[in-house]
Amino acid sequence: MEKDGFFNTPQPWNSMFGMELESQVSEMNCSPEQLPNCFLSRNWDHSMDQSDPFESALSSIVSSPVNSHSGVPTPAGENVVLKELIGRLGSICNSGEISNSTNTSCYNTPLNSPPKLNLSIMDHPIPGSLPIPRNHQLPPAPFPADPGFVERAARFSCFGMNESEFPHMVESGKLSRVSSKQCFKTAELSNPIPASDKKFSRELDNSMEESSLSEQIPIGETGIKGQNSNSNGRKRKAIPKGKGKETQFSTVSAIDNKTIGEPEKEESDAKRSKSGEEENGMEKEKEKEKVKEEGNQNQNQNQKQTKEAAKLPEPPKDYIHVRARRGQATDSHSLAERVRREKISERMKFLQDLVPGCNKVTGKAVMLDEIINYVQSLQRQVEFLSMKLATINPRTDMNMEALLLKDTRASMLNTMNHLDAPAQPFYGLVHARPENPLTSMMHHGSNMKSSQTHGFGEASAFWENDLQSVVQMGFSQNQGPIFHGIMGTGQMKVEL
Amino acid sequence: MSPPQQPSSTNPNSLKIRLTHRFLHNLNNLNKKRSNLDNTQIHQRYNRVKLAAYASMAHVVGSRRAWSRAILWKIRNRKVSTRHKRVDHKPTNHHHARSIKRRTTNHSNPKREYVDPNGNSGQEVKLRKLVPGVETMDACGLLDETADYIKCLATQVEVMRNLVDLFSTI
Repeated sequence: MEKDGFFNTPQPWNSMFGMELESQVSEMNCSPEQLPNCFLSRNWDHSMDQSDPFESALSSIVSSPVNSHSGVPTPAGENVVLKELIGRLGSICNSGEISNSTNTSCYNTPLNSPPKLNLSIMDHPIPGSLPIPRNHQLPPAPFPADPGFVERAARFSCFGMNESEFPHMVESGKLSRVSSKQCFKTAELSNPIPASDKKFSRELDNSMEESSLSEQIPIGETGIKGQNSNSNGRKRKAIPKGKGKETQFSTVSAIDNKTIGEPEKEESDAKRSKSGEEENGMEKEKEKEKVKEEGNQNQNQNQKQTKEAAKLPEPPKDYIHVRARRGQATDSHSLAERVRREKISERMKFLQDLVPGCNKVTGKAVMLDEIINYVQSLQRQVEFLSMKLATINPRTDMNMEALLLKDTRASMLNTMNHLDAPAQPFYGLVHARPENPLTSMMHHGSNMKSSQTHGFGEASAFWENDLQSVVQMGFSQNQGPIFHGIMGTGQMKVEL
Repeated sequence: MSPPQQPSSTNPNSLKIRLTHRFLHNLNNLNKKRSNLDNTQIHQRYNRVKLAAYASMAHVVGSRRAWSRAILWKIRNRKVSTRHKRVDHKPTNHHHARSIKRRTTNHSNPKREYVDPNGNSGQEVKLRKLVPGVETMDACGLLDETADYIKCLATQVEVMRNLVDLFSTI
């Protein structure tokens, strides 16, 4: 099903660029216990192959942050740069999010499960208290973009998380990534995570899962985040500070590298790419039935990104992701529940189109009532009409046969390109007494029954249309309105 | 105007056409079987016509849908039961269902209570009663089947109305 496509589709574009890594990252972000589905796991397995070096790097990074949580003072300069970066990111994110509310939700949810999502973090520069230095503590080679990641996290996760939590998030995110990536193989990596990190990782995982539930707009996310995805990617590649994986990430993420100083830039880019990847990966992972607004918005994001990031060709939307909206729980159960609810609402809308007069009805209960009433009325109409047919039938036995025969005859005539001929016997049947034409038709019918199957459809369509026209024209003008009025007005019993 | 017969098409036009054919065919067979001109047997005819209507509807749709399968199954069981018992009145499906091994519909859990163990509202229960064959389906599938059932029912009603119009004018 979609799962299969999910597993298969990521392959091509995974191989194409670092989106795979992003997905991996996002996948890894999902905590093992919180992964609602194993789509991620499978995808991770696929993606893992490509990201083995990244995995090792991540694992190393994961292990390193453990030590860095002790609270190393942040160099002032880095803080400043980071603040600026975050501010810029926040502005970019805000602009992107303003255009699309789902963006905020996407960005928010991945990084913060609590509903209190706000852009406060992005709106104001991160105070110096932000333990950005912790990010720097991480080994630069494998995962140098801790500050960048933090900024990305801040940017996308409009959550009420304190800035001080970012590095935790970053680290936890990495940890979660690693763990999720290997389908919980790296659970041991998460073990050494301090409790705080675990909490953040959980949040991250929740958010990741949420984002994974969103529609797959991996690139879209990055596009919105940064218009410089291309440049970032290129820059990252040009600045391979032992970040082979980072560059891959950077290509995917659209974080604005230009604005950051080089070392910061790399780190922030890496962070951004990571966060972007996370978001993208999160979006990619889960199957989703359909998220209308979210899907549309995601598609918009995707379009933006595709426009901006030539390097990031739009990934095939083979699998649908459900994106958790802002302020919604990120629990896997609630996510699945949301998917189910959205499926049901989609079908309710389809039913709304079927049931006449339900366009203004809103609400599932009222709609269900209308549907029930409509089905009951339809069944009553069938009963009524069958009663009518039962009373009429004795007189029209021959007519029915004649009609059938006429159909066959009409079909034969049609097949013989005598389009006008069928009309005449038909009209003759309707207007005149049926005996003579019936007998003649029956004679014909016996010969034509063999061809009954061929033009039956055509004949029936033909005679039915003609029948309706004839009937309405000549005879049923008084009955037609009544019958037509029956439907939907409940006046079925008028005739009876 | 008349597309080639598409067995799996749900295009209302083709559906209507197929329904018409099938229903006429069934009616014809029905009339050929017995000529119940007696008023006392009008009810019989009515039941048969109604059965023919549902049967034609289910046959046209085939086994693609749960409701059509349920109807076909009911008809098959009904025929078996009528053959064995020669019951003229419309047999209750539940009765025959229990006597015959049920294959699809689940009558072991009749919706007696207002709220299912799953927390379904009374409306869903009502809907399940109305649409055949959806008793064991989840809400999503229930709505799907309901939509298809409504579509086919509406088409059948239209066909029957046209037929009545035609027959009443002849």
